[in-house]
Amino acid sequence: MKVSMFEQVPYRYTPEGFENHYSSAVTAPYQIVEPELLQESLLSAYAELMHAARAGFDGVCVTEHSQSSYDMSPNPDLLASAIAYGTRAEGLDVAITVLGRSLGKTREPLKIAEEYALLDAITGGRLIAGFPVGLSYDANLNAALPAVETRERYREHRELILRAWSEPEPFPWNGRYEKYGQVNIWPRPIQQPHPPIWVPGTGSPGTLRDILSRDYAFVYLSWDGPKLTGRQVFDRYWELADELGRDRNPYRLAFLQVVAVSETDERAEKEYAKHLESHYRSGPGAIPHTALAVPGYAEPAAIEGMLRSAGPGGMLARLRTATYKELVDSQVAIVGSPATVADQIEAFVREFRIGNLMVMLQNGSMPRDLTEKNISLFAEQVLPRLRPIWDDEGWENHWWPRARQESPAGLGQQESPAGLGQQESRV
Amino acid sequence: MTAGTVDVRDETVEVWDGRLRLRVKVAGDGPPLVYFHPLSGLAWESLLDQLAQRHTVYAPEHPGTTPGEPQAIAQVHTFTELLLVYEETIRALGLENPAAAGESFGGMVAADLAATFPRLLSKLVLAAPLGLWRDDAPIPLMQMVAGPPEELPKYLFAHPDSDAARAAMALPADPALIPAAIAQRTWNVGCTTKFAWPIADHGLGRRLHRIRVPTLVLWGREDALVPAAYAAEFGSRIAGSQVEVIDDCGHAVAVDQPERAWTAISKFLDG
Repeated sequence: MKVSMFEQVPYRYTPEGFENHYSSAVTAPYQIVEPELLQESLLSAYAELMHAARAGFDGVCVTEHSQSSYDMSPNPDLLASAIAYGTRAEGLDVAITVLGRSLGKTREPLKIAEEYALLDAITGGRLIAGFPVGLSYDANLNAALPAVETRERYREHRELILRAWSEPEPFPWNGRYEKYGQVNIWPRPIQQPHPPIWVPGTGSPGTLRDILSRDYAFVYLSWDGPKLTGRQVFDRYWELADELGRDRNPYRLAFLQVVAVSETDERAEKEYAKHLESHYRSGPGAIPHTALAVPGYAEPAAIEGMLRSAGPGGMLARLRTATYKELVDSQVAIVGSPATVADQIEAFVREFRIGNLMVMLQNGSMPRDLTEKNISLFAEQVLPRLRPIWDDEGWENHWWPRARQESPAGLGQQESPAGLGQQESRV
Repeated sequence: MTAGTVDVRDETVEVWDGRLRLRVKVAGDGPPLVYFHPLSGLAWESLLDQLAQRHTVYAPEHPGTTPGEPQAIAQVHTFTELLLVYEETIRALGLENPAAAGESFGGMVAADLAATFPRLLSKLVLAAPLGLWRDDAPIPLMQMVAGPPEELPKYLFAHPDSDAARAAMALPADPALIPAAIAQRTWNVGCTTKFAWPIADHGLGRRLHRIRVPTLVLWGREDALVPAAYAAEFGSRIAGSQVEVIDDCGHAVAVDQPERAWTAISKFLDG
């Protein structure tokens, strides 16, 4: 399987008890920010992504949120571009996953087409293109687009981007939301007709059906607690795959898991518990629930379904007061020694047929040295156990960048531009 | 369907080149009056009973808000198209110069219909309409719509704890019906705010001078959604209009002060 390191860009110094007074999105109070600590928070994210690339991860992943204290990444392509250049310069053979620029939120979809194309070009075809709809608060409050239009915009923008990438001649676009007399973007992706497309979602049947019918990969996140919601979402995905005549190739499924690893279980809890707890309370937990579903974002049937299936529910609704124990029990986070972590990950990866795994190794207030320890230990002692998991079934990963597969020796000196690959090699 | 003392029937009109089948609730007897509902959809409130005592009331349901047809909203792309849909609806119903009344979002619809089609309507009642924007009197529509449901009443009512306010917000007594009711109300707000998001200003202020029919502008002095400062704004831009600002009254004028609202409306419609 493929294992990537996923990173958000939180402000790492939100005051204790932040979640009792503030929201982490839309109205998050900027007055709490100290300029030096802001710089450190931002630069640490760049450094940690490079650290992961050097440590031997198959890929690195970044994502987008605006007006938020838990992910200061208003355009992930900026971050991805720096990492793309850095990894190329060092000859590091990693995929760059942008998870991504929100297609339902953007007012300029061709910018996404151009930025992704540029990333794919400078990496020699190592981009995985995330096509998220966008969270409701981001699309409907930050970008202030009418909620009921979000999915229509998403579908139109997706068609426009795909066509802009692959249509040889300039073409006019007379869409419902976008009008262009002449679409002719430069550059275009090296991977033609398009890079692999991953679509994050919460697992609603409509979204899963759309992903499978278009042959994209579905991305699910562990913040709901896979012990609580995983069975339902993953089973639904594979059942829909059967129904739509798709194979059960595990690489169709990508999963993001929060992981914290140390020398022993005890030490892991001691080192990470407070960071995990404060992150989930003051970060994702402090997004107002109503901001995640502005009226019009979800159809009546979907809202009714959510209200009726309340049941035990996932952790998402309870993150604001989550305890370390709840986070670990529900598997929002997997914490422990390399053996503990590898055992738990291997179990659910096999159970749910996950072929592309992302691990989130930085959370909230975690400092850079601890994060880099987490990255190194995972890469050295956990990753080698996970990589061969699907080898015996012989599936091909169609959802991984093709350039990499075509040059198994990597993009080192041979393929990198003159002068860039010289000091390289893995550190 | 019966509400209060009036029989209410459904009529369906096909408009917009067959792309929409709009459901219209009809009740009462007398000269026609078209009623445009607020953000959360059509509820047959006591004001409609009162209106139906002397008018034949036609109350269309905003596209997408009729249960079972959520995607009808996709057939209307812009607010201008919504006005065309309603102009077609009034013709399809065979109404000659009806009066029109609208509350909140519906007030914005009624006002812009009258401004866009100066000969379509005969009289206009605007109860706390959206449609204008002043930087010194911001309208917290986004905060209300995306905020916690428990805070909704404070935007709508001067007395959120009154029986009338509670009744207006009430969910079905049968718990099994509550999820569908919440889902429908939430979607309705999504369908109306499509044309009011994030700021309900389509340039109505530049068209209000075109309104040539007798107009009553009705407002609650304690309106916490669209501040009462907008009453004078509408009043000064619509020649010959009459402005009534009711004390101790919030955004939902007919819920907070039903008697005073009805006194003003009935006097105006009879005059």
